[in-house]
Amino acid sequence: MRKEKIFRASKYLFLISISFLSLFPLLWMFIAATNKSVDVLAGTLFPGTNLVENFKTLTANTNLYRAMWNSFKYAAVTTLASLLVSSLAGYGFEIYHDRGKDFLMNILLLSMMVPFAVIMVPLYMLFGNLGLLNTTAGFALPTVSTAFLIFLFRQSSRNFPHEVIEASRLDGLTEVGIFFRMFIPIMRSTYAAAAVITFMNAWNNYLWPLIIMQKESARTMPLLISNLTAGYTIDYGVLMLAVGISILPTLIIFLALQKNFAEGVTGSAK
Amino acid sequence: MKKKLTVLFLMLMMLAGFSTLSFAQENATITVWCWDPNFNIYAMEKAADIYKDINPNVTVDVQEVAWEDIQTRLSTSLSANQTKDLPDIVLMQDNALIKNVSSFPDAFYDLSDSGINFDKFADFKVELTTVDGRNYGVPFDNGAAINAMRVDVLEEAGYTIDDFTDITWKEFIEKGSKVREKTGKPLLSAIAGESDLLMVMLQSTGNWLFDSNGEPYITENEALKEVIRVYQELLKKKILVEVNDWDQYISSFQSGTVAGTMNGAWIIGSIVPVEEQAGDWRITNIPRFGSIEGATNYSSQGGSSWMVMASSKNPELAADFLNQTFAGSKELYETILPSSGALATYLPAGDSEVYNEPHPYFGGQKIYSDITDFASRVPRVKYGIYNYEARDAVSTAITQIMQGQNIMDALNEAQSTVEFQMW
Repeated sequence: MRKEKIFRASKYLFLISISFLSLFPLLWMFIAATNKSVDVLAGTLFPGTNLVENFKTLTANTNLYRAMWNSFKYAAVTTLASLLVSSLAGYGFEIYHDRGKDFLMNILLLSMMVPFAVIMVPLYMLFGNLGLLNTTAGFALPTVSTAFLIFLFRQSSRNFPHEVIEASRLDGLTEVGIFFRMFIPIMRSTYAAAAVITFMNAWNNYLWPLIIMQKESARTMPLLISNLTAGYTIDYGVLMLAVGISILPTLIIFLALQKNFAEGVTGSAK
Repeated sequence: MKKKLTVLFLMLMMLAGFSTLSFAQENATITVWCWDPNFNIYAMEKAADIYKDINPNVTVDVQEVAWEDIQTRLSTSLSANQTKDLPDIVLMQDNALIKNVSSFPDAFYDLSDSGINFDKFADFKVELTTVDGRNYGVPFDNGAAINAMRVDVLEEAGYTIDDFTDITWKEFIEKGSKVREKTGKPLLSAIAGESDLLMVMLQSTGNWLFDSNGEPYITENEALKEVIRVYQELLKKKILVEVNDWDQYISSFQSGTVAGTMNGAWIIGSIVPVEEQAGDWRITNIPRFGSIEGATNYSSQGGSSWMVMASSKNPELAADFLNQTFAGSKELYETILPSSGALATYLPAGDSEVYNEPHPYFGGQKIYSDITDFASRVPRVKYGIYNYEARDAVSTAITQIMQGQNIMDALNEAQSTVEFQMW
C-alpha cells in the first residue's frame, strides 16, 4: 500500500515537472509581456507593472488591430476552403477507389517532399501575372489543396462505414448529398483536427504572406512581429506582448476543438 | 473602318495614359521600405517633413519592413520579374549592397549623375555603396566602430578613459588584464561563432577578406592571422567573454557583467536605456594593431544606405528627395540626432552645434562629434559580392580554431569554401 503511494507520488511529480518544463516558455512569455525590456533581459521571473505601457507602445508603433484582422481573415478563408477541397479529394480517393487513383495519390504525396522555398519564385510569378498579389485568394490558394490534408482525409475515410453510403444511396441521396449530409457530420472530429492544423499553419505562415502581401494594409501578425525584432534596440516586453496576443486566436480555437482534435488525430491513425 | 476604330482606341488609351502620367507627377508618392521605428523610420519621416516644404506635392509613405524581409522580397520580386509592388526607395545593409547590385544589375537606379555630392560623406561609406565606379546608395547611418567603456570600473583599477585612447591591442590586453584582476570584470563580450568583433578588428588594419581583384584573401592574409591571434589571447586572458546570442550580448553590458563593448556606433542605443549606469560610460576609439603596417584605431560595423529602385515610376524624383534631405540637409541631421541618436556619415553635419552638445549619459562627453571624427578616419575596404559567405566561412574557421584546430588548416578550409561558393 505504501509502496503504491510512493509510486503514485513520484509519477505525479514526474508528470508535473515535465508539464512545467513544456509550459514554462509560455508562462515566461506572458511574464515578459508585463515587464520592461531591460528587466526581461535581466531574466526576471515575476510579473511586472509595465503591461499597459507595453500595450500602448505596441498599438502606437504598429497597426495591431489591422494585422490581427488580416491574419484572422486570411486564416479563416484558407481553413474553410482547404477543408472543403481537401476533404472532398480525400473522400473521392477512398470511396471511389481504384488503381489509377492510388497512383495519383502517390504522386500527390511526393509533392510533400518539395520545400516551399523551391516553388516560391515561380508561384509568385504566376500569382503576379494573375493579378492576385495582395489578395485573400492569393494568400489562400497555394495551401487550399495540400497533400497532407488530403492524406489525412483519405485515411480517416477508411473508417467511414460503407453501409451508410449504401443505405443513403438506397434512400435516394445523391452522391454529393451523401458527402455533405452524411460524411461531414459523421467525420466532424477529423474536420476539427484538420481545422486546427490548417488554421494554425495559415495563421503562422510567414514566407508566403511576406512576399505576396507587400502592401502595408495587407500585413499579417507574423510580419508585424518580425518588424518588432528588426530594430537596433529590441523592446522585448513589447515583443513578448505581441507574440502573446498573436497566439490567442489559435489557442482559443485549439481549446474549443481540443476534444475533437484528439479524437481526429488518433482516429486517422487506426 | 476597323482600322480607324483601332487607331481611335489607341489614341484614347494614350490620352488616358498621359493624363495619369501628368497626374502622377503633380501628386506623387514615394514609397520607402526600412526598419526600426526609433531610428531609420523616424529619420525618414523627418526627411519627408523637410521635403514637404520643398516639394509639397510629394507624399512619402514610409513602410516598416524588417531587413531580412526586405531582402527576401527583393530577391523574390526581382527573380520573378514582378516589380509592381516594390517601393521607390529601400534601406540596404552595407554588407549586402554590392551583392544585390551584382545579382540584379538593372534593379537599382544609378545615382552617380543624380546631382548628389558624394564627397560630403565619409569615405569608407561611399566605398561600400559604389559598384564598378557607380554610386548606388546614399550613405546613411554611421557604423563607425566605438569602444564604449564603464569608467567607474576602470577607476577601480586606476585607469581613466584616456588610458584606453589611441592605444595598441598589446596595451589593451595589459590594461585589460589588470582591470580583470582588480574588478573581476572582462572588458568585452562577443557572440560565439559570429565574426562581428573580428571583422571590426580586421577592417581597422585596412585589410579585408578579399584582395583588390575580388579574390578571396584568407589563407595568405597575415592581418587576419594576427587578428585571430589577438582574439584568442583576449579570450585566454578572460578580457573577452563569449556569449551565445544577441540577447545575451546586450544583457552582458546592460547588467554590468562586462565593463564595456566594441561595436558600431549604433550600439549606443542599447547602452543608454540602463538608467542606473548614467554617467558611467565613455566612448573612445578602438585599439590598433601595432605590428601591422597602416593599421588604424578606426573601423566600422554594420550601417546602411538608401537605394532607389530602378523599377520606381519616378526614380529622378526619389533621387531628388534623397539629394535634398539625406545628402543636403544639415537641419535633418540636427533634428534626428537628439531624439534617436541616428548618427550620420554626412560630414557637414559634424560641425553642427547639435553634434557638439555634451551627452549627459556619457558624463558630458561630446560623443557625436567624436564619432563623426572616427567615421572620417575609417580605412576604406571593399566588402565584395561574397562578403556574407566569406564572413560565414571565417566564423566557422574561428570556431574550429577555438576548439583547438590548427589555424592554417581552418583558414585553408575557409578559403576553399568561399572559392567554391564563388565558382
